[in-house]
Amino acid sequence: MADYILVVEDLWKFYGREAVLKNVSFTVRRGETKVIIGPSGAGKSTLLRCINLLVKPDRGRIILDGDIITGRKDVHSIRSQIGFVFQHFNLFNHLTAIDNVLLGLVKVKKLPREEAMRKAEEALLSVGITEDLWRKYPVQLSGGQQQRVAIARAIAMDPKIILFDEPTSALDPELIWEVLNVMERLSRNGMTMIVVTHELGFAVKVAHEVMFMDGGTIVERGSPEQILLSPKNERIRRFMERMWYLYSLDIQSRAV
Amino acid sequence: MDWTNNTQFFTYIGIIFSSIGATLILSIASFIIATAIALLLSFIEIFGPRNLVKAVEWYVKIVRGIPLILALFIFYYGLPRAGFPLPPLYSAILGIALVDSAYQEQLFRGAIESVSERQVEAAYSIGLTHWGTFRYIIFPQAFRIAIPGWINEFSIVLKDSSIAYAIGVVEVFTQAVHIAQVIADYLKPLLIVSLVYLCICYPLSCVSNRFHRKLLEMGMIGG
Repeated sequence: MADYILVVEDLWKFYGREAVLKNVSFTVRRGETKVIIGPSGAGKSTLLRCINLLVKPDRGRIILDGDIITGRKDVHSIRSQIGFVFQHFNLFNHLTAIDNVLLGLVKVKKLPREEAMRKAEEALLSVGITEDLWRKYPVQLSGGQQQRVAIARAIAMDPKIILFDEPTSALDPELIWEVLNVMERLSRNGMTMIVVTHELGFAVKVAHEVMFMDGGTIVERGSPEQILLSPKNERIRRFMERMWYLYSLDIQSRAV
Repeated sequence: MDWTNNTQFFTYIGIIFSSIGATLILSIASFIIATAIALLLSFIEIFGPRNLVKAVEWYVKIVRGIPLILALFIFYYGLPRAGFPLPPLYSAILGIALVDSAYQEQLFRGAIESVSERQVEAAYSIGLTHWGTFRYIIFPQAFRIAIPGWINEFSIVLKDSSIAYAIGVVEVFTQAVHIAQVIADYLKPLLIVSLVYLCICYPLSCVSNRFHRKLLEMGMIGG
C-alpha cells in the first residue's frame, strides 16, 4: 500500500434519494496522473470534491498517504495537503496574483514572510507567470493567466496530490494550450494529479490511466489508448466517437 | 422684516450654515451607532445560533415597521415616563440609530451573503478554517461590497435627520424653518437648505458610484 498516495474505497454520495456516487473505488500511485472523463452529471466533480472533503461522502473511505481522512475532524489541515484547481479559477478577487499564492503559505502553513515569498515567487515562475504580473489583480489577467496563478496557488502549498476540475473548460481555445502545457510539465516533474477534463489530447499524452465515469460509477478504466480508442463498453464508444468528431480526428488514424 | 438687502441675506445664510455642524453631529453620531448595532446583528444573523437568528429577524421586521418620527417621539416623549428623560438631540440620535440599524443590518447581511460561493470554496480548498475564511476572504470582500450602499445609507440618514425638527433639535432644517417664520417667506430659506443637503449628498453619491464601478471591474459583484 505504501506507494499508493490515495486510496478511495467504496465511496457513496447521495443527494436526497439519488446516488451521485455509487461504489467508487480506485487507487492513485505517487507521481501518477489520472484522467477522468465522462458525460456531465456523471459525478466527476462530486468525486473530486469528496476527495478534498469539500463534499462529505456518505459512505466509504478515503486514505491519503496512509491516513484515513474520511470522518476526521481536522478537515482544514487535510485540505491544505490537497491542491484543488477549479473550472472557474476561483482566484481571490480582492488579492493580487502573488497575494493569492501567499495567503495559504502565510495563514495556513504559517511560514515566515520571507520563506513564503520565496516559495510563492518560485511557484509563479514555474507556471510562467513573470514578475510583471505578480502585482496584478485577477481581473487584470487573462483566463489562462488566472488559471496558471490558481495552479501556482495549489503547487506552492506542496500538496500530496492536486485535483483538477475541468481546468480548461472556461477558457478560450487559444488559452487552453498554455494551461495544459503547465499541467503536462507538472505531471512530467512527478506531481500526483487527478484531472477531470474533456481534453483528449492531454489524456493521450499525459495520463497514466484514464477512468470513464457515468451514472456515478467508474464504467471502465485502462490506458489512454484503450479507453479513448478501443473501449469495450458501448456507451463509452459512442461518447468517444462524438468526442473525436468534435476534435476533428479520425478514430482509425489514431491507432498508436 | 424682509429679505431685501445683501446684509440680511448673508446674516440668514450665516445662521443656516451655523447649524450644519449640528446636522452633521446628529447624522454622523446616529449613523455610527446604527453601524455598530447593524454589524453585530448581521454577524449574529449569519453565524449565530438559531434562536438568536430568529430574534434578529424579528428585530429587523419590527424596527423597519416603525416610522422614524414615531421612534423619535418614543425616545423624547415616551422615555421620560419610564424615568429616562433625554434631551432632544440624544433622543433624535437614538431614534434615528434604532431605525437605521435595521436597514444597515440588511445591507451588511446582503454583502456577506453576496460573497461568491466560489471564493469560499477556494478558501477552504487551501486549508483555511471557517474563521480564516471569514477573516481573510469573506470579510474583506463583504466590506468592499457594502461600501457603496453604506455611503448611500449615510445620505439617507443625513436627510432623515431633518425629522429631528419635530422634537425641537436645532439643526439646519429647523434653523431654515425658523428663519422662514421670522421673515414670512418659506421659499428662499428652504431652497438654501435644500442646497446644503445637495452639496453634501451629491459628492457622496459620486464617491459611492465610483466604488460601485470599481467592484464591478474587480468582479466582486454582478456575476
